[in-house]
Amino acid sequence: MAKKETGILLKRQQKLALKLLLPTFIILALVAIYPLADVFITSFTNREFAGGDENKTEFIGFDNYISLLAFTFVELPPVLDENGNQTIDSKTGEPLYERAIRVLPRTPYRFKEMSQFDLFGKRYVVGARNPEFLNAIWNTLVFTVTSVFLETMLGLFIALVVNSNFKAKGALRTTMLVPWAVITVVSARIWEWMLQPGNSGFFNMLLFRLGISNGQASFLTEPALQMPSMVMVDVWKTAPYMALLLLAGLQTIPRELYEAADVDGASKPKQFFSITLPLLKPALAVALIFRTLDALRVFDVFQVLLGSKMYSMASYNYFQLIQNRQMGLASAIGVIIFLFISIFAIFYMRSMGVEKHEV
Amino acid sequence: MKSKKVNRIIIKSIFYIVVVIIFIYMLFPFYWALNSSLKSEDQLMQSPATFLPRDTDGNISFYFENYKNIFSNSTFVRSIGNSIIVAGLTTLISLVVGSFSAFALGKLYFKGKKITLYLILSMTMFPQVTVLSGLYAVITTLNLAAVPSMILSYMIFTLPFTTWVLTTFFRQLPTEIMQSAQVDGATPFQTFWMILLPLTAPALVTTGLLAFIAAWNEYLFALTFTSIEPTARTIPVAISLFSGTVARQEPFGEIMAAAIVVTIPVVLLVLIFQRRIVAGLTAGAVKG
Repeated sequence: MAKKETGILLKRQQKLALKLLLPTFIILALVAIYPLADVFITSFTNREFAGGDENKTEFIGFDNYISLLAFTFVELPPVLDENGNQTIDSKTGEPLYERAIRVLPRTPYRFKEMSQFDLFGKRYVVGARNPEFLNAIWNTLVFTVTSVFLETMLGLFIALVVNSNFKAKGALRTTMLVPWAVITVVSARIWEWMLQPGNSGFFNMLLFRLGISNGQASFLTEPALQMPSMVMVDVWKTAPYMALLLLAGLQTIPRELYEAADVDGASKPKQFFSITLPLLKPALAVALIFRTLDALRVFDVFQVLLGSKMYSMASYNYFQLIQNRQMGLASAIGVIIFLFISIFAIFYMRSMGVEKHEV
Repeated sequence: MKSKKVNRIIIKSIFYIVVVIIFIYMLFPFYWALNSSLKSEDQLMQSPATFLPRDTDGNISFYFENYKNIFSNSTFVRSIGNSIIVAGLTTLISLVVGSFSAFALGKLYFKGKKITLYLILSMTMFPQVTVLSGLYAVITTLNLAAVPSMILSYMIFTLPFTTWVLTTFFRQLPTEIMQSAQVDGATPFQTFWMILLPLTAPALVTTGLLAFIAAWNEYLFALTFTSIEPTARTIPVAISLFSGTVARQEPFGEIMAAAIVVTIPVVLLVLIFQRRIVAGLTAGAVKG
């Protein structure tokens, strides 16, 4: 009798649970699952957006992916003089090679030069059908690795400072939330203004006053300065956030451990490496992966500060979709970003383990 | 003994210098924006840039026209209203819908719970940019206006997050409360709505704040969905596309004034709710 009653109760609970979950499922199906399926399918077509004539859309297999990712290496033949020796540029002293455009494949698709490198005394050229996208992948990876590394270091440093006892500790903790909470586009525009070329820009004024440069650096247009600028802007916004996550981890470490270490006469640096760092590892791992996933889909700072001058994967996707109206191609880019992030996300799920919760 | 004391004073002052540097590092961009927002176009172009707005004789002189101009700029003023509507409704809907599913996931028994939890957790890491083109297709098919499009699409990141965090809070509530309420004849839904939900009020405030800030800051979807409906632009889009009335070059004085204006509410939120925000941020990280 009692057993039967619990059975009915469980059934009632199950029914209620499904009813309560239904709105969430409907919304997520509409905004995530269906669009994701649509993106996968569209990525195999040459669909264009609002072209008026939807009938032209055809399945083209993996063509979008191939056109995005295809690259090749070709050896560059040296320029020879009449004696059969390689010509040396009389001005720079550099050996001369043929122009890349002459050796890269042109049919059926044209490969454009991406970069050159030397290996075993020979010069090679890397060509790609879409150098912009391969560069976007490269930029995103460089951006992710350097910014996540720097903000972890800086975040850890700030967290250690805030974790000690001092006046204004509360104020500093509150201040740490401000860069995180401010609209990314807004902080990007503030940085854009500070990075202005010429003496009206803060950084140029500062570098000029310190006598480091002539105060004319174009941080956002000079290729060598673009990536460091992006990293700087991102680190400013996310290092305090990182510090908050790490601070929460630091606060779980029992004070007694340090007291015991003090009694044993262990130095502060030794305490850091043998107590703090090992016990901080879980919080550090989670914070790292959070930030890595975020950095891989970076859009706002690239779009606002660089626009079409330099792309991240996400801003290239936006460009192909909205400016070029290439829905099929944009979908393929979306899928590639999805795969990149999934690899990291699976790693994340593994390292955190949902099983730990009594589900 | 004395040198030890001197040493401690030195270490302490170095420490405080570091603290001051951290403060300056985090706040300087806002100071520079405030400084620049109070300069006229001529003052902005002054070379070298000054740390306070100064006239040509070097006397301090503030210029308030930038603030007047942005408040007579209808695109900017409208964008504030749009942002409040979009972020507010996004928060409200994801709290209501999210607390429903969090109650089911945290307190009820049903088959397929584990897989549902996995699904929700993986959703919290969903790269929004991936579905951009698919979502655009959905929205053109449904023929939605830009504001509801943004609210709907922001559910991608707010709904899994609120569900996940609220689930962990529901789980912590003692099951006895539910059982005694049921003994008193309350249905499970009544128990949820009238007894458990009020108990999770602090968690609702925390997750609501984080959802609101996330929606308030969102740029990619807003930029995409308002591209054909400029009147629906939210603050991030309006500020990224800000152009002056006489657009010879980018009106950075006005942009900085707008940046200061929209940052003030954020600072107030942080000052009032800092404990809740930190709790919410680290709940995701420490508890998983």
